[in-house]
Amino acid sequence: MAQSVTINGESYDIDVDTAMPLLWFLRDKLELTGTKFGCGMAVCGACTVHLDGEAIRSCVMPVSAVAGKSITTIEGLAENHDHPLQKAWLKNKVPQCGYCQAGQIMNAASFLAKTPKPTPEQIDTAMQGNICRCGTYQRIKVAISEAALELGKEV
Amino acid sequence: MTVQNPSRRKFIKQTGAVAGGLWVGFAVPNMAMAKIGMPEQAAFNPNAFIHIAENGDTLLYCGRCEMGQGISTALPAAVADELEADWSRVSIKQADGNEELYGPQSTGGSASIRTMYIPMREAGAAAKAMLIAAAAKTWQVPEKDCYANSHFVINRKTKDKLGYGELASLANTMPMPESVTLKTKPDYKYIGKDIARHNQGDIVKGTLTYGVDTKVPGLKYGAIVHCPVFEGKLKSLDKTAALAMPGVEAVVEIPRMAVPFGSIGGVGVVADNTWTAQQAVKKLKIEWDLGPNKTYDSNAYKAQLVKNVEAPAEKAAERGDIGQAFANAKHKVSATYTGGHLSHSPMEPNASVVWVQDNSCEVWAATQSPADIQKVLAQYLEREPKDILVHVTMAGGAFGRKFKCDYVQEAAALSKAVKAPVQLTWSREEDTTTGYYHSINAQHIEAAIDESGNVTGWLHRAAFMPIASLFDDSVDRAPARSLGDIFNHPFGIENMRTETGEAKRHTRIGWYRAVYAIFYGFAFGAMADEIAHKLNTDTVTLLNRLYDNNKKPELQEQARRSKGALAMAAKKSKWNQRDKLPKNQGIGIAVHYSFASYVAMAVLVEVDGDNIKVLEVDCAVDCGQVLNLDSARAQMEGAVVMSTALSLRTEVVFREGAVVNTNFHNYPVLRINEMPKVRSHFIDNGDEPTGLGEPGLGPFPAALSNAVFAASGKRYRDLPFKPTSV
Repeated sequence: MAQSVTINGESYDIDVDTAMPLLWFLRDKLELTGTKFGCGMAVCGACTVHLDGEAIRSCVMPVSAVAGKSITTIEGLAENHDHPLQKAWLKNKVPQCGYCQAGQIMNAASFLAKTPKPTPEQIDTAMQGNICRCGTYQRIKVAISEAALELGKEV
Repeated sequence: MTVQNPSRRKFIKQTGAVAGGLWVGFAVPNMAMAKIGMPEQAAFNPNAFIHIAENGDTLLYCGRCEMGQGISTALPAAVADELEADWSRVSIKQADGNEELYGPQSTGGSASIRTMYIPMREAGAAAKAMLIAAAAKTWQVPEKDCYANSHFVINRKTKDKLGYGELASLANTMPMPESVTLKTKPDYKYIGKDIARHNQGDIVKGTLTYGVDTKVPGLKYGAIVHCPVFEGKLKSLDKTAALAMPGVEAVVEIPRMAVPFGSIGGVGVVADNTWTAQQAVKKLKIEWDLGPNKTYDSNAYKAQLVKNVEAPAEKAAERGDIGQAFANAKHKVSATYTGGHLSHSPMEPNASVVWVQDNSCEVWAATQSPADIQKVLAQYLEREPKDILVHVTMAGGAFGRKFKCDYVQEAAALSKAVKAPVQLTWSREEDTTTGYYHSINAQHIEAAIDESGNVTGWLHRAAFMPIASLFDDSVDRAPARSLGDIFNHPFGIENMRTETGEAKRHTRIGWYRAVYAIFYGFAFGAMADEIAHKLNTDTVTLLNRLYDNNKKPELQEQARRSKGALAMAAKKSKWNQRDKLPKNQGIGIAVHYSFASYVAMAVLVEVDGDNIKVLEVDCAVDCGQVLNLDSARAQMEGAVVMSTALSLRTEVVFREGAVVNTNFHNYPVLRINEMPKVRSHFIDNGDEPTGLGEPGLGPFPAALSNAVFAASGKRYRDLPFKPTSV
């Protein structure tokens, strides 16, 4: 029987070469294109998704390695796309071209889950692996701080 | 402002495209193009459309390409302002490539706003006038008794209201107004305000479609490897191992297409997914004939360019008597400045889908220039440009790279070979190693200063590879006109000579965001600081004097507005209190005029040994009337991020003809932990608006270099200051 993986709550058979990175399984097989290709070697963060809640770089993660596990992509981060980070991103008008932002948000979501009250230095450290060429970093910092406050209220 | 010039403004009404509602199209006037030195178009073409449906839904087409700069929000918001539309009822559609319908669509040179602002608003005002006419007719009252507000026309006397949707079809039968009156600043609702990008909701959901995301039925996926050296070609190819891989359908040789801007030449693979195609490319056994550029070494070349500008070169322009100025000079200051090759490296690599069929060719591409795609594919496929249908997708950054359509022509080659739609996505390595590059460059300046401290003579030599050299073997240096920004610089210097030094082509040149402004801004801004230091005065004082000395009537506005931006940057950065900074901190300041906008930057740095940290940047901007305050700020933040990296460390290096950098680990762009605090200040003087996509990169490198000098006494004259070793 084929192995399967759960993506945004739905189970999918892994019917591809098991060495295929999760990124391309998402993009070319499932046509979930919110997760982006940027570098192919885990140095830019555009492909960030969650593996059992933990941020990973899907461009270097063989799909076979996530068999039986649960993956969340930007499309499934929040049911109504209203994760506090997504709201903070809109409020602060973070995106320019927007290409890296799914990866930024997914990385930030995993970070905030572990670090609910981050300092600016912790944000810098956590987000260093996500490149934005348009230069939205200043707004990303503010948006993450605001989302952290919002998440704090929800608890 | 009333616009009454029917010969220069041609509105059209279009019927039949979609039944019902109001359609308005309009033309970009040639004078707007001429004013900024762009070629006049042969004909007046309508180039944008407003459609108001019978339910009031309002669709605005954006003809210019969107790559994150926000043009598809800023211009429609200006239309909506004049139209008195309710912004929440407006949606925006990216227009297909069609210059007959939409006018010039090539998006670069920070030109969209300054060419389209007035015509876009006129279209909105014309549509509003027709809606008012329709309401007046319905109520049988004079038009002057009606006004428009927030998607309604209102009867001044009765306070009756009719919605735009109710009026749209009747409005469509009203005559086009012969003239329109545009709103004035106090009445702006959207112009100059913080308007969120219309697509940011889709971005945070992950549902916005970029070039790399296009899916069509029957889609196949491509990958490519190029000859690593420009002008090399394929010698031998063994595709056995690649073709043996499950899922691989074809291996396609793609020869160089030596036209602007076809493929550099390579071998492509088509498979049933991108990853398989990428793996198959690695299994190709290829021998290249590396050709005439196989010894190109960019470090050695840079040293050669320095020699070429430190010796007499070919005259570009001259005024006054520079020899006399130097003979009479009390002080002479000279310096040589250099800059490296740069890769644009947008986060979205080159990607498009092309479907070549016997009788059609359809393209979905992230591009800055759909017309170039039409032209190149027409040539490649031996068809007419109008027969190439180009859908323009969102571009995940571009910075000049996506002006060139080599990657689209390559996708067409793959599609043609497998007779199916193919999505070709370049790997990051191909993007970094076989792209188009901002030219390596060198400049040498000698300044003569008289006994009263006036700069009286200026010799300025520049050397860089021009794009024209790629297609014309006789071009061995930048043409004189490319040095025009030096000769026409608003510094008031009576005696000047410009010279262009030899710079033969060795790779493909495609300018980086801001083009020459990066290195001209650096040389002028750093030299001013060096002269100020020599004269023991402060840089702001010296700069003001240089602008005040400009007596040319045609440059007075440039001098005045440059000074205005400079003054604001000085004030906001507390330039006058810089002596109170800690010892290892310093402020540097520079101002540069480019692409019709003025930007001054004051950079605060901290220098610890070899480590330069950019702490704060105050950006003072005069771009006339700001269209969208939020995206104007974003452009400054982006300019600082990009120019911090290119000033400090990023450079594309060639050895033995090929690029050594491969990916973001050895082409280290800026990351979040290095982000300085950026504050943007707008003079917003109500002048005609100009663009901001590029002008922020002009002043930064000099301001940073000057700041490091202030903090440490060390003068950096080479960009990047401290190249990352690769």
